[in-house]
Amino acid sequence: MIGLSPLRVVLYAALLAAIVALPYTTGEFRVTQFSYVGVFAIALVGLSILTGITGQISLGHGGFMAIGAYVTGILAMKYGVPELATIPLGGLVAGIVGFLFGFPALRLAGVYLALATFAFALIVPSVAIAMGEFTGGTAGILLDLPTSPVGALTPDKWLYFVTWAIAIVLFAGAVLFVNGKRGRALRAVRDNELAATSSGVSLSRYKTLAFGVSAFYAGVAGSLYAILNFIVTPGTFPVTLSILLLAGLVVGGATSLIGVIIGAIFVEFIPLYAGDVLGPVVNFLQRLQVPIDDVDPTTPGVPSVVYGVILLLVLLIAPTGLAGLPGRIGVLTKRVYSRLNVPERRANP
Amino acid sequence: MRMKVLLVTAIAAAAALLVAIPGAVARPAADPGVSARTITIGTTLPLSGSASLYARIGTGMRTYFSYINARRARDGQRGVYGRQIVLRVYDDQYNEAQTVQQTRRAVEQDRVFAMLGGLGTENQQAVRQYMNQRRVPQLYVSTGLSEFGRLYRRNPWSIGWQPDYVQEGILLGSYVRSTLPNARVAVLRQNDDYGREFVAGFTSRVGAARVVATETYPRAGGASVIPGPVARLRASGADTFLVVATPVESITALVTAYRLGWRPNKLVNSVGATPGFMAAARTSAGSADAVNGVVTTTYLKDVASPAYQNDPQVRLFKRLMEKYAPGQPTNEGLFFYGMAKADTFIQALYRAGRNPTRASLMRAAANLKIPSPWLLRGSRITTSPGSAFPIRYQRLARYNDGAFSEFGALVKTR
Amino acid sequence: MLLPLAFTWSEFFQQVVFGLSIGSVYGSLALAIVLIYRTTRVVNFAQGEMAMFTTFICWSLITNHGLSFWPAFFVTLGAAFVLGVAVERIVIRPFEHASHLALILVTIALFVIFNGLAAWIWTPEQRAFVGPFSAKPFIIGGVAISRQDVGVLAVTLLTVAVLWAFFRFTKLGLAMRAAAIGPGASRLMGVRVEWMYALGWGFATVLGAVSGMMVAPSIFLSPGMMQLVLIYAFAAAVLGGIESPVGAVVGGLLLGLGTTLIGAYVPFVSSDLDVPIAFTILVLVLLFRPAGLFGRVVVRRV
Repeated sequence: MIGLSPLRVVLYAALLAAIVALPYTTGEFRVTQFSYVGVFAIALVGLSILTGITGQISLGHGGFMAIGAYVTGILAMKYGVPELATIPLGGLVAGIVGFLFGFPALRLAGVYLALATFAFALIVPSVAIAMGEFTGGTAGILLDLPTSPVGALTPDKWLYFVTWAIAIVLFAGAVLFVNGKRGRALRAVRDNELAATSSGVSLSRYKTLAFGVSAFYAGVAGSLYAILNFIVTPGTFPVTLSILLLAGLVVGGATSLIGVIIGAIFVEFIPLYAGDVLGPVVNFLQRLQVPIDDVDPTTPGVPSVVYGVILLLVLLIAPTGLAGLPGRIGVLTKRVYSRLNVPERRANP
Repeated sequence: MRMKVLLVTAIAAAAALLVAIPGAVARPAADPGVSARTITIGTTLPLSGSASLYARIGTGMRTYFSYINARRARDGQRGVYGRQIVLRVYDDQYNEAQTVQQTRRAVEQDRVFAMLGGLGTENQQAVRQYMNQRRVPQLYVSTGLSEFGRLYRRNPWSIGWQPDYVQEGILLGSYVRSTLPNARVAVLRQNDDYGREFVAGFTSRVGAARVVATETYPRAGGASVIPGPVARLRASGADTFLVVATPVESITALVTAYRLGWRPNKLVNSVGATPGFMAAARTSAGSADAVNGVVTTTYLKDVASPAYQNDPQVRLFKRLMEKYAPGQPTNEGLFFYGMAKADTFIQALYRAGRNPTRASLMRAAANLKIPSPWLLRGSRITTSPGSAFPIRYQRLARYNDGAFSEFGALVKTR
Repeated sequence: MLLPLAFTWSEFFQQVVFGLSIGSVYGSLALAIVLIYRTTRVVNFAQGEMAMFTTFICWSLITNHGLSFWPAFFVTLGAAFVLGVAVERIVIRPFEHASHLALILVTIALFVIFNGLAAWIWTPEQRAFVGPFSAKPFIIGGVAISRQDVGVLAVTLLTVAVLWAFFRFTKLGLAMRAAAIGPGASRLMGVRVEWMYALGWGFATVLGAVSGMMVAPSIFLSPGMMQLVLIYAFAAAVLGGIESPVGAVVGGLLLGLGTTLIGAYVPFVSSDLDVPIAFTILVLVLLFRPAGLFGRVVVRRV
């Protein structure tokens, strides 16, 4: 994932240019949507640190986002802290909770951890309602409408740049983390716990660290989300979002930055456009004489079916995600190529 | 290896641009949502989720607009001054964060002229500041929160429609005070401003001493959060049961009370007591005893009531339902509610002039004083900037054998 | 103002019956989860949605095809069986050798698909689902006991008993148990192991369907209706031990009874806290006795 070849530098520069240019090529609503893409990208980077590298699953990152969002809401509206200043605090609180969660994570593996994080995601909204004094209960907290301190930038553009600036900084941080000593230790944990321990890697520290860092990222994402959405309520981060995040990670690809961005685009746009994906598929089937009616893409339920099927297909065909697809295509073509070109090997097995 | 990375980056960039470009094409119009031929408005409703029964309001509105678009008005033109009404319905799943996103989508991307009848107390509160900042009409919200009327001057782009919860609570409270002076009242309410406001109105007439037990349930909790509180309320020994809840919770409360063998005097606030919901409760409980005797407040004609069989408005309603929404139950008041609200909008739109602007629409809405054949006989729509409560006439109604029948006087509650 | 119930024996019995009844619903869904886990080592996150989907089929049979409840019930059980087998063979089978992570994600994808399909086919509107049990209570010793609660408990336990008998006393049941414990040896004995897996999913989906059809009269039929039940079912399965069928059922009953009685008699517990309580139980059990009440402790000391 890292390497400073000139080509890579050029590619990342191009990506950066695209990110910077986007707000000037499109309307304010689309800009806001891409701000949400940035938010989800941050959350997915966190999730990828946990899941992709340590091999542990979390179905509860929506809960950490909620923590960050509420911290921002409470600090900004009840204590007058400037919104942007609350972002690192949101991340910190979420990170601490994640770190504490990491301790029991030690004792759980695989499926049990998935259940525990699922439970966590469900508990957070109920706790938010129960702590009504702070959190506004079911009504939640209404934040101020977005404003821009910079005259040249409208609020939507301002927040877009803030979000992506934070995202880029956090991406860089993640890359350094993943490739540093600790990162290698974490990957050892994923690959073989027994071997990792016997070689002196302290499991507990690294697992809790992974949770903490991952939760910090989700908390930052949640804070930004609260600022963008100007409201935070118990229902803002339902379990379905945690599931969608995990799906986005899988579809995009857990181990590369491009994959994370693809995943974030998936998370933001799939609920809106999945129905439109269905249109061409239905037309195709109709042409094959399959008796199927035209589908109204706004029918509730259609986006879910489409994204579920996409998820299944990705898991089946491209388990490393769409970003890993070229790699898999490469492997496939290599296999085909070698089979075509080296037939004489078969004679002498 | 390099080709791979290049390929993926190119795909990603192309995908991003493909998504971005359609957005770029949206050019700001001089008067968003109004063209020579159409007026586009939006609404946010819970099409899915625990409040999804309210989606029927959208069907009602759409049906009525289809009628308006097809018929010729007195000036010979279809629609309103020749413009067709286009209604876009956005699903916010009863989740305020979604309401914000869908409303922004409607205003910023789809550039609607106004939002009409958005549903949900917290949902509409969430977008009120935004709508006022952008000067987009937030018209006739589908919630009875009194703020939408009381705070009109502070938020002149937002206005309610139905009698607010305080008014309703006061009317039911007066009923209990006069006919059940020794009632021991158990209250089940939603744990939000809607529940609080209604009960405040109710208690102001009944007196706090009459209320012997109160239970709350979490908003959007669904049917499963009801049996526990209802059991506790029953155990308080109350003989009167006040339900301030949204459809599913309201129906479940009545059914649960019945199943537990509890037969109190039943009071249900209007948003949880349409004839359709009563019918559902009756079906669920397997007995009419579960719902007979329910007293509620009403301000619209009841489409299920024999008393209104020959009423021209109700007959129009049935005709339109058959034509534009066949297969839907015609005893459901929510469709009628949607049509009535749509009609109020049409009346305001006419008064906004031949070339309506958002400001002229709001002015018309804030000053609308007209009779309305959809409301109870003898009542009118009366709005003024100092008293921004379009509907304020109500009566009590009691449910028996399939329909509500009104009783008592028509009361002006504000 | 939250009042705990003043304690009277009649109230207590009503609450106990109610608690056991809802507990049996959790238990049967939990048993479905355990069944699939034992036979195929997959934790099926979609169990609840499949149960909901089959319940919609039952509703459709009653409403659109005029069947009365019990015929529709049995037809639905058949449909559920076929659905379970089909899902296992078509969707799960290709992932036979995939990682745990991938399998969890596959069942999550199924969750999303079934949820969406139900909303698409039948619309997300909430519907009343009329059950087979009349609303008139039994009067036992002067106490009114809900006929529905008793009926649900009876049907669910009966289903569990029938299934138990099947596994214990029939050759096919034996073959399935063998395939779960030792697939290699079973193959040598001529057991078609892959079909045993499929049958496991079939029976589990039947259990889920029973759970759904029994609970639907109380909570309105809608695409989201089993999500809360699924949560409790997971808690029950973990509480009882995710490999233990007995544990799942007992866990479900205990959980139903426990949350009902706590909700009724402990003053500061409002219904807002029901789910967090179930979940805190789940997390605590996972922390301190991951094998649950009835499972074997698998030591993973590293």
